[in-house]
Amino acid sequence: MKRRNFIQKSTAATAFLTLGGLSLQSFASKNTKHITILHTNDVHSHIDPFPITDSRYPNMGGVARRATLVEAIRKENPNTLLLDAGDIFQGTPYFNFYGGELEFKLMSMLKYDAATIGNHDFDNGIDGLFAQLPHAQFDFLSANYDFKNTVLNSHVKPYKIFVKDGIKIGVFGLGIELEGLVDPKMYKETIYLNPLEIAQDMSRILKEEEKCDLVICLSHLGYRYKDEKISDLELASKTKNIDLIIGGHTHTFLPKPTVTKNIIDENVLVNQVGCFGLNLGRIDFYFDNDKNLASKGKSIIV
Amino acid sequence: MKKFIISFIIFSALFSCKSQLPQLVKIEGKQTTVNETIASNKTIENTIKPYREKVEKEMSTVISYTPINLYRNDGNLESSLGNLMADLSYERANLVFNSRTGKNIDFAMFNYGGIRAGISKGNITNESAFNLMPFENSLVVVELTSEKIMELVNYLISENVAHPLSKQFNLTVTEKGSDLKINNAALDTSKTYFVLTSDYLQTGGDNMNFFKDPVNIYLLDYKVRNAIIDYFKATDTIKVSLDGRFRNEKTLKN
Repeated sequence: MKRRNFIQKSTAATAFLTLGGLSLQSFASKNTKHITILHTNDVHSHIDPFPITDSRYPNMGGVARRATLVEAIRKENPNTLLLDAGDIFQGTPYFNFYGGELEFKLMSMLKYDAATIGNHDFDNGIDGLFAQLPHAQFDFLSANYDFKNTVLNSHVKPYKIFVKDGIKIGVFGLGIELEGLVDPKMYKETIYLNPLEIAQDMSRILKEEEKCDLVICLSHLGYRYKDEKISDLELASKTKNIDLIIGGHTHTFLPKPTVTKNIIDENVLVNQVGCFGLNLGRIDFYFDNDKNLASKGKSIIV
Repeated sequence: MKKFIISFIIFSALFSCKSQLPQLVKIEGKQTTVNETIASNKTIENTIKPYREKVEKEMSTVISYTPINLYRNDGNLESSLGNLMADLSYERANLVFNSRTGKNIDFAMFNYGGIRAGISKGNITNESAFNLMPFENSLVVVELTSEKIMELVNYLISENVAHPLSKQFNLTVTEKGSDLKINNAALDTSKTYFVLTSDYLQTGGDNMNFFKDPVNIYLLDYKVRNAIIDYFKATDTIKVSLDGRFRNEKTLKN
């Protein structure tokens, strides 16, 4: 099948003031499919909301509130995936006291579908992470950490394909270089592989071999760096077949998801929602079998 | 909520395939702030509750007592809290270091900015230790040449702030220059020194570059916070004083 090419017709921004209802209705034909991707990153053991007295984030965040939000969105659209881009651990005494047990339990209750591994998820060592896995009823995805000589061998998958309403969604994970960031005693014999090469490989496998309709990269590389260090934006510009990069690590608060160009000048979305569970990211993908409708173009509303 | 729309047009020529496959026609992105307008899910709340109660109980557990307020800025080039932190880290870490190597640490040095909160007069709890040291930094011992020690001294003099130093280290800035004593002895250019610090500072934090390429490095696998908690638990009443371990006699005269 030929890749579709899009050209940007107009950069003039039109304000859409209506909420989802109107656009949902207009796509409510039986040929329409709707996939919702929800995401968090760098929650750092922030289970409770910040205190009302907090100088930066008073009374913000909290897993129990996030649960309400996720539940409501799932009710609205059952074809929803909930993903986390790493650094689940470290930041409140909950982690120091329970080693991540509660974080994983709650994420399982919220029905997270997958998470990737952040550098802080090694803070109790690879054995500390392994010890908490029984509490996680979701998959850990990392394509560029080779765990074969570690306890995590076979417990972490490079990618997973989810099928929602007949739509194949391929999700793969990418982790940051651990050397210099994490004590080698913590990550032991974890081998870090070049994320760019792995991403090129993964996106080819998921799009061309597995025929996924959507390819999502769950990354803990970081949004952008001043130097050459590989980041989400860098990765987006040097790959193809990736529809969405969900990022973490740099605790980047974006006013809206970034729309950028890949190596063959197609649009890629890059998003990150800051940190500490202060925000829930949401990307909705609408598919249609009606080629007349589809031929009118693809709109990206962010 | 602000939304922006960017429209795209497909070349119809490229779209002539008769595929029945679903085509991606629209993408919408937005984020929701998690705040007090969203009710808490009761099941989640009930799951957290016993964990929270245990954490709160642990955090409020009294582990020591201080008869005076401990601050990082109650001295000139030293402080009650800085002296305490450096001395207790030395004491706890030297037990580990000595049992592993048979050698003794010469002195400890940390950074002023690393003291994140003071401790008020009265009971000391686990929470005091978490507030004082919220980071997961670990203790490391670096073996430094005397040249690196002089770099350290010059850094201290030029910074002119109360970086925590243990009592084995004595530095007086005078009109003529400076007078350094480590364990009551002048700097010996023929020997190396074992200095205790944190992994954060060892890797270049706060520009303490003299820690960067040591002769040897010993990772103690001992978190700074755990050393603090262990010391508090073993010490009924904290005794600390300003003893002039780092002082500037030029400023005193002025």
